[in-house]
Amino acid sequence: MNEPLFTRLLWSLVIIAGAYLLIRLALWWILNRARNTAQHSSAIEPGRPTVIYFTTPDCVPCRTIQRPALQKALSQLGETFQLIEVNAYEKPELARQWGVLSIPTTFVLDSTGKPRHVNFGVAPAEKLIQQLKDLL
Amino acid sequence: MTSLVPIDHSSIKTNQALVMLLPVLAFIFNWPWLVALTSVVMLIGSLLLKRPGFSFLYTNLLKPAHLVKPDVLLDHREPHLFAQGVGGVCLALSALGLVLGLVWPGWLLSWIVVGLAALNFFGGFCVGCAIYYWLNRLHVPGFTQSPPPGTPPGMRPGNSAYE
Repeated sequence: MNEPLFTRLLWSLVIIAGAYLLIRLALWWILNRARNTAQHSSAIEPGRPTVIYFTTPDCVPCRTIQRPALQKALSQLGETFQLIEVNAYEKPELARQWGVLSIPTTFVLDSTGKPRHVNFGVAPAEKLIQQLKDLL
Repeated sequence: MTSLVPIDHSSIKTNQALVMLLPVLAFIFNWPWLVALTSVVMLIGSLLLKRPGFSFLYTNLLKPAHLVKPDVLLDHREPHLFAQGVGGVCLALSALGLVLGLVWPGWLLSWIVVGLAALNFFGGFCVGCAIYYWLNRLHVPGFTQSPPPGTPPGMRPGNSAYE
């Protein structure tokens, strides 16, 4: 493999771009799967965006970072969105159906109940607020 | 068995960043020696120093310069050392393949390691750690640690060491 530097650089970019596209595809697949689950959920009120927040009682970052971040979003955006908190220990089947891989996980749904964003791990308040503002 | 200890994940992330960057640079400039060097640093880290091979960059440069903030979590050390060791062996095989003229398999192995490091860096999922925990579940001798409570095998733990 004695290609010139430019060719090898190009190959590297193609591989990295391909991997990025694969990740986008995986995220799309997770959101699509969540969409099917969301359609059958009676707890989601249509007409305003919803944040579904998967947590557990022993999750420290949930208590110290994620909850305050959600409270900040609530205080800034008020009742313009609905917050649904799910204890993944109490409802493991629901967590599985939504494709939750880690705690905390937040799904942001638009006003029609369609999942638009998924945040695996802690989502900062600014990110959540921006994701919600895009849907308002 | 629980032997959760405070582990600075920023140090692990610095290591992952280098494990992503160096083999890619080696590929672009066609420098198999850089793959070998990365492998040696990783294997020394796992087998001798018992810490991320490139953690010296974080400890001596990035952290004092406040370029990267500490992120100390309660975690097991062994799965990360195992994952790094597996990555180091893969890169060693890659370098060996390149030296022996097995160019495509050699670079493919390097790219696989880059991909797995990227998955850990960006996605928080450590494949090597997941393998470690699966081997623990199968009661393979030497794999004594089980995942931190409430954490799926291989995923980044959620418990801060300062709580």
